[in-house]
Amino acid sequence: MINKIKTSKSEKIILCFVIILGVFTLISLIILKNKCLFVKNYDPNNIEFNNSENIVILNATCGNVIIELYPNISPMAVKRFKELIKLGAYDDAAFHRVIEGKLIQAGDLEFGKKENLDYGKVGSGKSGLGTIKSELDGKFKYDKGSVGLARTFELNTEDSQFFIILQDEPLFEGEYTPVGKVLYGLEVLEKVKFVPRLHIVPRPDFINSFKILN
Amino acid sequence: MILLRAILLFFVFITPLKANTIYNLIKIPNLEIYKIDTENGLRYLYAAKPFRLGIDIKKNINCFDSNKKTLDEKYKIVKKNLDRYSLSFLKKINLKYIVLCENLSIAEINTAGIPNNITRTLILDIKFNEKHFERAIHHELFHIINDNYKKLFNENIWKNFNKKNFEYSKCSTCGNNWNLELLNNNSGFFTEYAKSTASEDMAEVFSHLIFYQDKINSEDPISKKKILFIKNNILKIDNNFNF
Repeated sequence: MINKIKTSKSEKIILCFVIILGVFTLISLIILKNKCLFVKNYDPNNIEFNNSENIVILNATCGNVIIELYPNISPMAVKRFKELIKLGAYDDAAFHRVIEGKLIQAGDLEFGKKENLDYGKVGSGKSGLGTIKSELDGKFKYDKGSVGLARTFELNTEDSQFFIILQDEPLFEGEYTPVGKVLYGLEVLEKVKFVPRLHIVPRPDFINSFKILN
Repeated sequence: MILLRAILLFFVFITPLKANTIYNLIKIPNLEIYKIDTENGLRYLYAAKPFRLGIDIKKNINCFDSNKKTLDEKYKIVKKNLDRYSLSFLKKINLKYIVLCENLSIAEINTAGIPNNITRTLILDIKFNEKHFERAIHHELFHIINDNYKKLFNENIWKNFNKKNFEYSKCSTCGNNWNLELLNNNSGFFTEYAKSTASEDMAEVFSHLIFYQDKINSEDPISKKKILFIKNNILKIDNNFNF
């Protein structure tokens, strides 16, 4: 005859605790794995714009980033930027340089594309369209969400690479050619993959698409 | 080959990230902003910690941080002197950043300033010789001008202004007399230090023109030629420049 052993009160408490812990672990695993869970994805079709010809939509892993371009401030830079967007050149380009909370950089069309990413050279690639002159005389405040063209140490070397800053950078004023500002979706960029203390992001996130609204 | 590539990539990845914006702009570490919203666009930075500069392992430029009191006092003096240069002139001569630090030295020789026209930066030693500190600011600024307009400030033309038997030293620190006191002896030199090199001589003439215009001996025929040369060439860079 088998005697049925009754579970004690403390055993029941431990069992409940283990079950709750398991549930929490499962939920947090799902949440942690999905970095985009709490990121709002803006649909440009649901927003009204006065100057849709200067609105561009960058689609990244966590959604859309809606950017307004400023051709009045940097006509040549905006022209180049639009030209490359129209060509679809930025599609599948890596966010190769990401500094947590400071800036993200992308647009190396030679060594930073998904199909031929070269970690040794990324950041030094060209578009093939040549460099353009720096446009630094227009009044532009480099606050959070500003978009500018990257360059080498020398002026007048802007090409296709661009950066978006994630914090105010007053020292950038008069240093880098501005092209526009993020209107919506900065939180999408804050979720772009970075690796602390690394200059180049290994296995980086990519731009899915980059389009002009109209 | 694969191993070599892996090692190279490893080094690329472990390169410490210098997220500091100032470092990225002018390649000088340990700096912080003192003032950046100035009328003539100059951005004043200061050494928050000592820094060393140079190429590869030969980091032979050293400068140290100052206490706040010294920094505040000297900033006012530096700014007062540099305010006489307009935004358009500073753009033409490629000067944007002024770094304030103390005990600046290059190869262990103290110096008032180190100009770098590529990074558009002038490092100033705010503890440099009290008596000549203000004039030295203009002297160092001239080196930025000279570096940008080497053809205008032709050293061969300049050398011909001097007496036939005179020769400059081989470098600015090669001589043994670095006296900065104004000479009034019709020798064609404003100071003993001006005798070191042609570019130092030009910088001495320029700095005296800016800071001690009323004290200089403009009757000396050699000095007259030198003054005219500097004035004419500065006006070629910016015809609105006021001496």
